[in-house]
Amino acid sequence: MKKILQRPFVWLLLLLGFSTGTLWAQNTVQVSGTVVEKATGEPFPGVTVLEKGTSNGTVTDIDGNFSLEVAGNESILSVSFIGFVSTEIPVLGRSSITIELEEDLSDLEEFVVIGYQTIKKKDLTGATSVVNTDKSSRVTAASLGESLQGLAPGVSIRNGGAPGQPAQVEIRGIASFINSNPLYVIDGMIADANPTINTNDIESIQILKDASAAAIYGSRAANGVIIITTKQGVEGDARVSVSAKYGVQQLPPTFDMMNSSQFAEMQRRQFTNSGMTPPPSVSSQFDPSVNTNWYDVGTQLGNAQDYNVTLSGGAKNSSYLVSGSYFKNKGVLIGNDFERMALRINTRSKKGRVTFGENLVFTNSITNAPGTGNPFYDMPQMLPVIPVRGERYISAANPEGWGKGTTDAVTYAWNPAAVNAINSYRSNFAKIVGNAYLDVDIAEGLVYRFNAGAELSFDHNKRMRRSGEWHFNQPAAPTSIIEDRSLFSSFLLEHTLNYTKTFGKHSINGVVGYSQQRTKIDILSAGRTDLQSFDGRYLNTVSSATGDPIADGFIPQNYAISGFLGRANYTYDERFLLTLTGRYDADSRFASENRARFFPSIAGAWRLSEESFFSSSLISDMKLRASYGELGIVTVGSWDYLGFLNSNPRAIFGPDQAAFVGATQARLANPNLGWERRISQNIGADIGLFDDALTISAEYYNSLSQDVLVNLPIAWYLGNLGGEPAVNAASIRNTGVELAATYRNINRAFKWDVSANMTTIRNRVEDVGNLGEGIDYIQTGITRTQIGRSLGEWFVLQTDGIFQSQEEVNVHVNSNGQLIQPFAQPGDIRFVDQNGDGEINQEDRTFVGSPWPTLQTGAQFNASYGNFTFNMQWVGVFGYTILNGVRRELDSYQNTNFRAGINPWTPENPNTSDPRIGVSVGDPALIDNARIESDRWLEDGSYLRLRNLEIGYNFNSALLQQWKVSNARVFASGQNLFTFTKYSGPDPDVTGNGILERGLDNGNWPVPRIYSLGFQFEF
Amino acid sequence: MKRLAKYICLGLLVTAMGCEMDLDIPNPNQPTMEVFWQNAQDAEQGVNAIYSSFARPGLSRWMPMIYITRSDEGYSGSPWSDLANAMGGFIQPDYNFGPVIDVWVDCYVGIFRANQVIANVPGIDMDAQLKNRLLGEAHFLRAYFYYNLALLWGNVPLMLDPSTPTDLPPTSTQTEVWSQVEEDLAFAAANLPNSFSGPDLGRVTRGAANALLAKTLMQQRKFSEALQPLEWLVNGDGAGIYGLVDNYRDNFLITSENNRESIFEWQFVINATETTDNDVATPNHNYGTSISQFLAPPGIGWADAEARTWVIGEFMKESTVAGERDPRLAASYIFADTDERGAEFTMVYGQTFAQRYGMDNNRAFFRKFLNDHWRDEEGYRSPNNYRIIRYADVLLMYAEVLNELGRTAEAYPYVDQVRERVGLPALSQVRPGLSAGQFLQQLKHERLLELSGEGHRWADLARWGDLGPGIADRDPGFNNFEVGRHEFLPIPQRDLDINRNLVQNPGW
Repeated sequence: MKKILQRPFVWLLLLLGFSTGTLWAQNTVQVSGTVVEKATGEPFPGVTVLEKGTSNGTVTDIDGNFSLEVAGNESILSVSFIGFVSTEIPVLGRSSITIELEEDLSDLEEFVVIGYQTIKKKDLTGATSVVNTDKSSRVTAASLGESLQGLAPGVSIRNGGAPGQPAQVEIRGIASFINSNPLYVIDGMIADANPTINTNDIESIQILKDASAAAIYGSRAANGVIIITTKQGVEGDARVSVSAKYGVQQLPPTFDMMNSSQFAEMQRRQFTNSGMTPPPSVSSQFDPSVNTNWYDVGTQLGNAQDYNVTLSGGAKNSSYLVSGSYFKNKGVLIGNDFERMALRINTRSKKGRVTFGENLVFTNSITNAPGTGNPFYDMPQMLPVIPVRGERYISAANPEGWGKGTTDAVTYAWNPAAVNAINSYRSNFAKIVGNAYLDVDIAEGLVYRFNAGAELSFDHNKRMRRSGEWHFNQPAAPTSIIEDRSLFSSFLLEHTLNYTKTFGKHSINGVVGYSQQRTKIDILSAGRTDLQSFDGRYLNTVSSATGDPIADGFIPQNYAISGFLGRANYTYDERFLLTLTGRYDADSRFASENRARFFPSIAGAWRLSEESFFSSSLISDMKLRASYGELGIVTVGSWDYLGFLNSNPRAIFGPDQAAFVGATQARLANPNLGWERRISQNIGADIGLFDDALTISAEYYNSLSQDVLVNLPIAWYLGNLGGEPAVNAASIRNTGVELAATYRNINRAFKWDVSANMTTIRNRVEDVGNLGEGIDYIQTGITRTQIGRSLGEWFVLQTDGIFQSQEEVNVHVNSNGQLIQPFAQPGDIRFVDQNGDGEINQEDRTFVGSPWPTLQTGAQFNASYGNFTFNMQWVGVFGYTILNGVRRELDSYQNTNFRAGINPWTPENPNTSDPRIGVSVGDPALIDNARIESDRWLEDGSYLRLRNLEIGYNFNSALLQQWKVSNARVFASGQNLFTFTKYSGPDPDVTGNGILERGLDNGNWPVPRIYSLGFQFEF
Repeated sequence: MKRLAKYICLGLLVTAMGCEMDLDIPNPNQPTMEVFWQNAQDAEQGVNAIYSSFARPGLSRWMPMIYITRSDEGYSGSPWSDLANAMGGFIQPDYNFGPVIDVWVDCYVGIFRANQVIANVPGIDMDAQLKNRLLGEAHFLRAYFYYNLALLWGNVPLMLDPSTPTDLPPTSTQTEVWSQVEEDLAFAAANLPNSFSGPDLGRVTRGAANALLAKTLMQQRKFSEALQPLEWLVNGDGAGIYGLVDNYRDNFLITSENNRESIFEWQFVINATETTDNDVATPNHNYGTSISQFLAPPGIGWADAEARTWVIGEFMKESTVAGERDPRLAASYIFADTDERGAEFTMVYGQTFAQRYGMDNNRAFFRKFLNDHWRDEEGYRSPNNYRIIRYADVLLMYAEVLNELGRTAEAYPYVDQVRERVGLPALSQVRPGLSAGQFLQQLKHERLLELSGEGHRWADLARWGDLGPGIADRDPGFNNFEVGRHEFLPIPQRDLDINRNLVQNPGW
């Protein structure tokens, strides 16, 4: 692409995009008229009126009036508005026409972008979800993924929570151990829709879920594809729309921790129980005036602000849209915020047979965070007897005297205020994402497109460590600054030919093309130790520091993909539909002999309701679909198939102790790396009932992933470092059912509609590769992925209550009478000796629970009465297990504050689920009680959440006209207001620790509650 | 139609422009392995990489800590109770417990690096002498990693060729591991030079190979075979190279590294800008050791290992010829009486012991790895070299071997050299004519005092057959010691899970 940009021709093309089209008019007949809404008879502004078969057209004004020059009396006016039935009106010599538009209950005529083509929704053969942006834009979300939660069946969204952190998006389960992210296509550019993309710019969202829909993206589509189309200007006068939203963010209820007196009392008891002297901090030197609530210290009331201004319009042959936006999110944790400014420019111009357009967004986003530690893990553990700051903590290394653990108040938890004051990490991403295209109408129905896309991200990260300490026994380290700058670049180049032809009852359309993309990341970093500070103010450039320099630079990724693509759709009599899709891709990330592969798919559909034998007053539309095909995904790094020399080791020799370069192969490699493939089958039905007032869509899918790369957790005795080599060895099957239904009732003053969807995903490991004799599983931490089960199920010890007496300890024996827990005392946890060998060890681990939901649901309700609107969204996820890692730290009782409700076992207090409390040093039974690989920490994560609640008011048009405003609305909303769950952590919507420990909550950032007010208007 | 043709031409042009896609993209960061192992520099860098393993946390931090705390001279009172229990409490329910696993991993990291050298360097066309020397270093280092694996885990898989992802070796018995170590050391001793100087100072030598070979043989109680390598050191060529330094404490200071007493020494230096202990992540890694941060007393370091104070009593049993306290005590421990005048005079990183811990604190901390002789803080980047094998150790080993071979009288002078360096009277004067059994008892005392807190005690106890609940009176951790089980650590569960050819150690 770099080469390409050097060619003048391309620059010419780029320049074209900023010129508006020339006028092209003929002087024949003048037609004017009024468009009214059929139900109300009110004038209808903003309606597109086109002369059929031409691009000649206009848009109605605020009073619904239009005026248009047409070729002659035989011309036909095509009148359309989104959500209304388009009509065609012959001019028939009239100079003034009144046109009625009727609201469209069916969305089947909607166009759906399916990748390199748009087709009508009714002609879809694959599994494609269309998300109404009217729904997704209601929630306050930094990223697209976050805004989709609960809106589309088959799409699992788990929120990151932190400002600017993207959500985890999975389509139809997980079919890879390494990567579960879908492919994003933004206006034809393959680029990540991360938080740098403003969700308000999005016009439509299509989710391609099965092989037929996604195969056009072949080698990258196995995790599904999300196609985003941004807003375009429409013909007519310039329109300005403004929206603003402000919300406060509140931390949901977290762990209820003890205050200092309660803590001191409990810790005294803990030490006394173990026959030890309680530390002075809770006994002789207990200071009741110190009572720190560390949640108060580490958190704040956050907020989210979202402002958008859009200017759009167009002439006969050109349109433009310019939007500016500002989004800021101050997080609920101190020191954490995210800010994004974006400017979008979308234009389109037509001259003769050529249409040129571009869609470009410039964004700058800034994330601030301390950049180290996780307060959601530390805040509950930090002791209330430690002050935020104190005289006694002042030392050369801790000049500000930040409170921290000491020998007499031991905790290793981090002081969140100190972490925030001492460390800072600022990330600035300046990004350009967009594409430019050139369409040429070569002949009737035949269009050539040249599409060039680019994503450039200029990233700058700055990390500073100031003077001070934030935890007990902190090792000395110099103050320092490190800055790194990196350039992410991705260039896409595509040539496609689209063909459409209808003859008789036959209709054919299709696309063929060539596509190539090159992606590279280039990083340079520099830093220096020993910051200078004056009066507490730090100089913050690399050169202002005075110590040792740091420099680094490398290219972590550089790869290219090229391929040929094609799709053909055939429709016979609107009854039978057939789609053939294929893509042949080659990818530089594999050795040349494994580089290329063909990904085909086939799909068919039968519109039953068009058959002559089909007559039903109930069913207005019915279509059955089936598809089969193969998709791929690349989950490897740019050069993983090769073994590389690592020259980072250093040997120290000589009287001056100099560092000598060492070189070795540190990481083992697999030269035979190849694609992961997903063979996907889908059957579906789309049914419309009661004149499409109720629409139902149902899907069943069965997809088998093969050659799945396993980062074989290779044995430690191999001495491998730097990541485990992947092998195409595993196989995973995902099956499930998706149901979505919408009912709309709009023919009364009280209009409402309700939508609901549900998803089941059954994830089953079919093969894990040859891991050695008799091994059919992969162990990851405390989860195990075993053939016949889901990915990463909890593989832990089972507990069986608490020993109530020494007698119970003594009778816990195996068949040979061997005492199973010799160290245990009354009040300790009883573990199940699964293999009966008379002791509790790793051999006794067993499967206890799965992190996979059995059911995921979403529901939305919209209503309007008069000028009021009401929207409600629910999300429900059921039947999965979370490991509450923070509760494990707290209920282990060691060097931590205690949960306020705990009720440790004592002989006098036997009926409790909390074991005895004591100091575990030298007390192995207490260590056993706290074992992480135990079902003690597993909890049901099921939840039902009121995701969003919004009440809006639309100002009536009379008042608005006076103000020359075409519509205006105010609204108030509450997000994540209620969550019904039994989970004891702050939020059951956890993103976990990667794919294989997806249910691990080690201080997951909970989604905040957001209370927002906003308005929008247009003139 | 003319215009149409124009567009088609344009289209073809653009298509042609787009098709020059080269999918062979070289890695600009690292060369492939194919281009390596070509010349002498490659061979040397390959060997350097093995040495680099020493600064990895498993070796430079946890391994000495495990040796110290599992023996009766130390324990862990860490508030990280999993650590406290594993280190010297003989309680390790998690067979994948990080600090223990790190030692296993880093030993095998070193072995993988050594195996690459041993497999590839013989084929390089280079100076034969240099080649043999480098191969000698690789064999020594591989032997050293297996020596430690054999001591700590006993029965481990023997990896002798460069690893491939699917290697599933069986467990080798401790005896088999020892013989591999012997074989590698014999090769090393035959090919290594007697000494290095200049920029090669710090590389392993023939002396180091002989000393480690002697240790290996002695652990197997092959005393007569151990005699020969020891004689090379004490009476042979080694006698011209090695000797005791005058000041005992010089063995533990950064100002007197690589002195004449040092036979095998790990080299450390500060890299103030380092960002990681992982020596393959970036060249900007830790060139020092973090053990001082983990051993330093509370308020300075983690104090994750500390001394059993009965050893201090052992030091008090005998005064120097001048009637003073054994100077090795103060060099070995930070405790209230490091300064004989007491807690108000003992300096602990810039403050007195009394200021930091009060007058009644009887804890003692290992001093030999610390940096309190030159700064008032610790950190993860200690530059203090770890003297793994000292000549004093070798002298006592030689005495032990002679004694075991019934040559007790001949053993006396070597013990005396060690005693006289610190001003103690000669054993031949104060305890002449000991029987072999009595002499061994005396040697146990001598080794304890000379080598405390250096990580040799575990091997000594194992060799003497003293591991067991019998020594629980001086180290209560041994109450948990089950004979037949706790001599060895548990094989990591992960490796057992992956490789069914491996067997867990007895009792685990």
